[in-house]
Amino acid sequence: MKKYRSVLVALVVSLAFCLPAFAAELRLAQVADVSSMDPHRVSDIYSANVIRQIYSNLVQVDENMEIVPDLAEKWENPDDLTWVFHLRKGVKFHNGEPFTASDVKYSMERIKDPKTASPGATHLKEVVSVEAVDDYTVKIVTRRPFAPMLMSLTRYETSILNEKAVSAAGADYGSKAAVGTGPFKFVSWSRGDKVILEKNADYFRGPAAIDTVIYRGIPEDATRLVELESGGIDLIPGNFPYQEFENIAKNDKYLTYKIPAMSTLYMGLNTEVKPFGDNRVRKAMNYAVDKQAIVDAVYFGYGTPSRGPLSPVIWGFDPERKDAYPYDPDKARELLKEAGYADGFDMTIFSDNRTERRSAAELIQAYLAEVGIRAQIELMEWSALLSTSAKGIGGGFMLGWTGTGDADGGLTPVYHSANIGSSNRFRYKSEGIDALLEKGTATLDQDARRKVYAEAQERIVEECPLVFMISQQLLGASTKKVQGFKLYPNMISPLFAVTLAE
Amino acid sequence: MLRYFLKRLLFLIPVLLGVSVVIFSIVHLAPGDPAEVMLGPSATQEDISNLREQLGLTKPLYVQYGIFLTNALKGDLGRSIKSNAPVIDEIMERFPATLTLAMLGMTFAIVIGLPLGILAALKQNTWVDALCSFFALVGFSIPNFWVGLMLMLLLSIYIPILPSSGFDSWKNLIMPMIVLGIQTMAVIARMTRSSMLEVIRQDYVRTARAKGISDRLVLTRHILGNVLIPVVTIAGIYFGHQLGGVVITETIFSIPGLGRLIVDAIRAQDYPVVQGGVLFFALCVGIVNLLVDLLYAVLDPRIKAQYRAAK
Repeated sequence: MKKYRSVLVALVVSLAFCLPAFAAELRLAQVADVSSMDPHRVSDIYSANVIRQIYSNLVQVDENMEIVPDLAEKWENPDDLTWVFHLRKGVKFHNGEPFTASDVKYSMERIKDPKTASPGATHLKEVVSVEAVDDYTVKIVTRRPFAPMLMSLTRYETSILNEKAVSAAGADYGSKAAVGTGPFKFVSWSRGDKVILEKNADYFRGPAAIDTVIYRGIPEDATRLVELESGGIDLIPGNFPYQEFENIAKNDKYLTYKIPAMSTLYMGLNTEVKPFGDNRVRKAMNYAVDKQAIVDAVYFGYGTPSRGPLSPVIWGFDPERKDAYPYDPDKARELLKEAGYADGFDMTIFSDNRTERRSAAELIQAYLAEVGIRAQIELMEWSALLSTSAKGIGGGFMLGWTGTGDADGGLTPVYHSANIGSSNRFRYKSEGIDALLEKGTATLDQDARRKVYAEAQERIVEECPLVFMISQQLLGASTKKVQGFKLYPNMISPLFAVTLAE
Repeated sequence: MLRYFLKRLLFLIPVLLGVSVVIFSIVHLAPGDPAEVMLGPSATQEDISNLREQLGLTKPLYVQYGIFLTNALKGDLGRSIKSNAPVIDEIMERFPATLTLAMLGMTFAIVIGLPLGILAALKQNTWVDALCSFFALVGFSIPNFWVGLMLMLLLSIYIPILPSSGFDSWKNLIMPMIVLGIQTMAVIARMTRSSMLEVIRQDYVRTARAKGISDRLVLTRHILGNVLIPVVTIAGIYFGHQLGGVVITETIFSIPGLGRLIVDAIRAQDYPVVQGGVLFFALCVGIVNLLVDLLYAVLDPRIKAQYRAAK
């Protein structure tokens, strides 16, 4: 009997493990369906979320936007231009191919190849060569010392692909096939409707707790909510409507998620247009607008007035920073008078048609009127706003900036004068700011780099080629069933650690 | 008859050609372009012009139109800029949902609207008539996205019997069918009522009655056939209207149809998908109108006779 007892115990135990045999299925709804699952050919956040579950990168960010190892276990800089990555061994792609340094080389070169027309090519702009030293060592050489390299490699656009899988699928790669090394495998995509993923049992960190993930695209806010309330979906990972959040947070059937977003909203000023060339006028406009009132009215309180050009969750944000410009209409009037605009002036605010931006523009208009500035609002198509403002728009413009998660991506494109004509839409040139940003890019020592960016932020606030507005919050909600989900500031939340309660 | 059909079919060619010119011009003359949308606010001018080159957007407009037209004639509508999939595949993948929805909406409209109109006319100036007319008026006046949200609240949350979105089973189709069909239903009901009232007073109806034919036979033999002619016209026109309304319905209920494909493509300035999608829509509307005209000839012997005489 004794002999059999252990067998019996073993049987019971193994049975107990078998019992939760129900397939754990997580159903999420995003605002839109994916556009492709080829990471090198997309630029939208909804595709990025699915891509994040299928693929891995050399390095990743954690929920505090700090760099953590992914396919690379460790890395070092033998000199200021060289990055050597030591890769994880024994990793397999979903098609069974082993992951080696050649896959990294292939992926980076595919991104940089103009024929791929990859929207993410900009992240590797400074890369001159990628070399597979051996199967598990990769050497990346940059044109100049480039500190944001690691953050660029965390981006979904720089995910690692498998050459065989890509050439086997041909033009169908990204729609009928998607092969990575991530915790979930691509199963199917019904266009405009949903993407189905299943657990990758061979994932290098062990299999995920969830068996199946279904990503649906539901464009209507109301429908997404109804689906959550009626049990059709389990999780809304971001883009939760601001006006509904309080209700759902009060309801104890749901869990809610709230974190500061990487993006900031601002009103840019084309400094080549009169009178925005005058620093006093720009400062006056910054003092004239009550940002907290806009947070409350437009974002239902889910945000904070900007504490400078960067959101607090971006690497390099200076935690010592206070409100960039507290509301002070008297000071605004004084500055305007000093600049010779005691009677104000006329201007136009350009915005696209998104409710929040339009409403914010309307409130700005009202606050500016209080100090004598007569603003009118002109609405434009999103892509027209982008291209017109890049070429120099005739006044102020409502825009947001998300960047890469690193201070460089949050500042250099927007404030460096080399980017006038594209992403420096203020058309503002300051040698001081340029020098600091260049120094930040070239300083590989992270602590020294933080100090450089702190100085740059101070300087940008002082010179203010824009009206600082708001750092929004990201909101999400799920049923109680969903456990361990974390919203990430970059809006791309991994599902590997999520479990489902019965 | 065949001549009639062929004549109508030939009319489709200039219509489609016209649509292709109009949609091509609108899409290309509108501000912004797909390269800018794809690359977002951080793009440099160099990135944008590189992508533009890749997408073939740097060629002169008439050349681009020529390429588009020649390929379209061969049945090739190009590839989506966003997903890189052939446009024709995307359309064909989405079309069944839209067609199903439009047909169901039309069926709903006819099945409810026609009896409602007949009933109202037969009981003219009674409370039944008033009720039917009120129902039709309400159906026509309320915005359909609102109907959609209310139905969802009622049937997905308060009495949870129907799923609120998706396209997985017949249950997904009930609410969209009502939302899509309700306006056409109202129009058909009102049209049927007035057409009935007109026909009832015709001499041939009075003659039939005078001959002692039963009310029922008069209704089915003498009245309905004539009532149907204007109703079919309206139904045909509104079918095209419904294909447009599909955009809203598909968005509310998150149905992967052609309407949403085109709207998403417009947002992304995905030129080939917008062009291909609209052209395909135009073809559908054209074919439906053609079918309605044919049905006309079947229903109305006078039209058939006209063509016979012409022979």
